[in-house]
Amino acid sequence: MLIEFKNIFVEREGRLILGDLSLSLSERRIGIMGPNGSGKSTFIRLINGLLLPKTGQICVDGLDTRLEVEKIRRKVGFVFQNPDNQIVFPIVSEDIEFGLKRRIPEPKMRHQRMLEALDQLGVLHLQDRSIHTLSGGERQLVALAGVLATTPEILVFDEPTTQLDLRLRNRFEQHLSALPQPALIVSHDLELMRTMDRVLVIVEGRLAFDGVPADATAWYRTHCG
Amino acid sequence: MLKTKDLVLVALFTAMIIVLGLIPPVPVPWVPVPITLQTFGVMLAGLILGPWRGGLVVLTYVLIAMLGIPVLPGGRAGLAVLAGPTGGFLLGMIPGAVITGWLAGALPRGELAHAPQGWKAVAPQVLRCWVASVIGGLLVVYAVGIPWLATVTGMGLNKAAWAVVVFLPGDLLKALVASIVAQRVRRLGMI
Amino acid sequence: MGSFYFPGDSWLHRTAAGVKLLLLMLAGAGLMWVHDWRILLLVLLGVLLLVQQSGARLQQVWLYLKTLSWLVIILILYTAFAQTPLGALEVGLRIYALLLGALLVSMTTSIAQMMEVLIWLLRPFHQLGWVNSERVALVFGLTLRLIPELTVQWQDIREAQAARGLKANPFTMGVPMLLRTLRRAQDIADALDARQ
Repeated sequence: MLIEFKNIFVEREGRLILGDLSLSLSERRIGIMGPNGSGKSTFIRLINGLLLPKTGQICVDGLDTRLEVEKIRRKVGFVFQNPDNQIVFPIVSEDIEFGLKRRIPEPKMRHQRMLEALDQLGVLHLQDRSIHTLSGGERQLVALAGVLATTPEILVFDEPTTQLDLRLRNRFEQHLSALPQPALIVSHDLELMRTMDRVLVIVEGRLAFDGVPADATAWYRTHCG
Repeated sequence: MLKTKDLVLVALFTAMIIVLGLIPPVPVPWVPVPITLQTFGVMLAGLILGPWRGGLVVLTYVLIAMLGIPVLPGGRAGLAVLAGPTGGFLLGMIPGAVITGWLAGALPRGELAHAPQGWKAVAPQVLRCWVASVIGGLLVVYAVGIPWLATVTGMGLNKAAWAVVVFLPGDLLKALVASIVAQRVRRLGMI
Repeated sequence: MGSFYFPGDSWLHRTAAGVKLLLLMLAGAGLMWVHDWRILLLVLLGVLLLVQQSGARLQQVWLYLKTLSWLVIILILYTAFAQTPLGALEVGLRIYALLLGALLVSMTTSIAQMMEVLIWLLRPFHQLGWVNSERVALVFGLTLRLIPELTVQWQDIREAQAARGLKANPFTMGVPMLLRTLRRAQDIADALDARQ
C-alpha cells in the first residue's frame, strides 16, 4: 500500500503547522517521532482526511483524501491515543458491532467478526463487560479490537504505548508484530521505534530525519534530547 | 449542515444537563429554596452552543426522558412527567435554550489572551448573557410552565404563579453564575 | 450513573426493548388514573418482584433509590401538606412504582437495543427525509455513554483544584469542566469520522 504526500502545507489560524512535505510511504512498519507540538499528530490525521492540507495532495492507494475520503477511511484503521474517545457504547461487544454496521449488514456475521477480533487480541472474555469497569490497558485493546474488526488494509497508531505499563507495553509489541497489515506508529517510545523498518522525525513542522531506526533514534537523542 | 463535532457537542451537553439535574438541590445563603442545577445546564447549553445546538441539546434531553430512561431530576422519566405538573417547565426549556442562545448573540471568534481582560471590558458581555439567560431560561420557561401547572393541578393561574415565585431569586442567581462561566468559555473560541 | 444496564440472562433481559418501553409508557399513563393505594402497593410489590427476577444486585438498586429519593420525599411531604396524608401515600407509591419500573427497564435494556427502538420509531420520518435516524441514534448513544464519564471528569477536576487549595464552586469547576468537554468533542468527533 502506497501513501504519498505531495507538496503538503498545513496551516491553522495563519500559522504553519506542517510545511513543504513530500514523501512516499510503503514500508511495513513506519515509525514517526518528534517533540510535542511538532506536527506529528497533524501528519497522521492527513492520511485519513481528518485534516486537509492547505495546498498539496495526499494519496492513499491512489485515492485522493480530498475526493474519496470515505473509501480511504474504509482502508485505514486509526487507533487514537485515548481509547475513551474512541469507544461509543458502554458494552464492549456493542461498540465493536456498531463500528461494523455499515460494512457488514448481516447481524450474525457482525457478531462473529466481533468475536474473532476480540479473540485475536486475547480479550474475548471482556465481551460483555462495561468499559467503565476496564483498566486503561484493557480499554486500549478493546479499541484496537474494534479497529481490527473492520479489516483495515493499513493501521495508524497515535501514541499507543504512552499510557501503558511495561507489561502491557510488551504485550502491545507482541500483538503489533503479529498483525499482517502495514502500520504507521507515532510514538515517543524509542524501544518501539527500534522495531520499525523506517523512522521519520518531525520537528517544528518539517521532516528533520528520515531513515533507519538506529540512526533516527540517535539523531533524535542528540537534537531533541 | 451538522458536522460530527456538532453532534458530539450536543451529546456532551445533554449528558451534562442530565448529570446536573440528578444532583440534589443545593442550599444557598440568602436564597429561599435550595436551587436545582437542571436549568443551569440549560442556560449554559444555550449560551455556549448557540440557539440551534442549544435547542437540540434540550430537545435530546426531553426525548431521552420520554424514551423512559430515568434522566430527569429525581430519576423520573416518561410521558407521565410531561402530563404532570412540571411538564410545562420541562417543555418550556426547549424554546428557552433557543432564545437564550439567540439573545446572547453570535459567539465571539478566537478572541484569546490579547483581548481586554479587565472587569469593565467583560461586564457588558456578562450582562448580555445574563439578560439572555433570564429571558430564555426563566421567563420563557415560566411562561409555558405556569399555565401548564395551573391546568394540570387545577390551581388557577394566580396560585400557580405564586407557587413558582419562590424559585425566582435562586434562578436569577443561577443565570448570573451561568453568564460569568459561559462568558469565560465563549471567549476562548474553541467552539 | 447514566448507564444502569448490566448484562444478564433473565427473561426480562430477553424481552424485546420495544415491548418493555411500551409497557413502561402505558404503566406511566395508566397509573395516573389509579387512586386506590392498595392497588398501587400491589403494583409496587409486583415491580419489586420483577427486579428480583432480573438478577439485579439489590444493593445497587437500593443505592440508586436512595440517591434519587430526595425529590420523591419533597413531593410526598408537599402532597401531605397540600392535600391529605392518604393522598401523599398514593403519590409516594405511584412514584416509586414508576421509578423502579423505569430503572428496571434501563437495567435490562442495553443502549444499543434502545437505539434500535428509536431508529424503528423514526423510520417514517427517516423515509420522509426529515431526520437521519443513524445520527439521531448516535447522539442518544453517545449521551448515555458520556454520563458516567462526566461524573469521573468532575471528580478529577475537583481533586486537581483541591490540590491547588481551591474549593469546589461553579467558577473553579465550571470553566475547566466546560473547556475539557469542548476539547474532547473534537477528539471524539475525529474518532467517529475515522470509523466511517
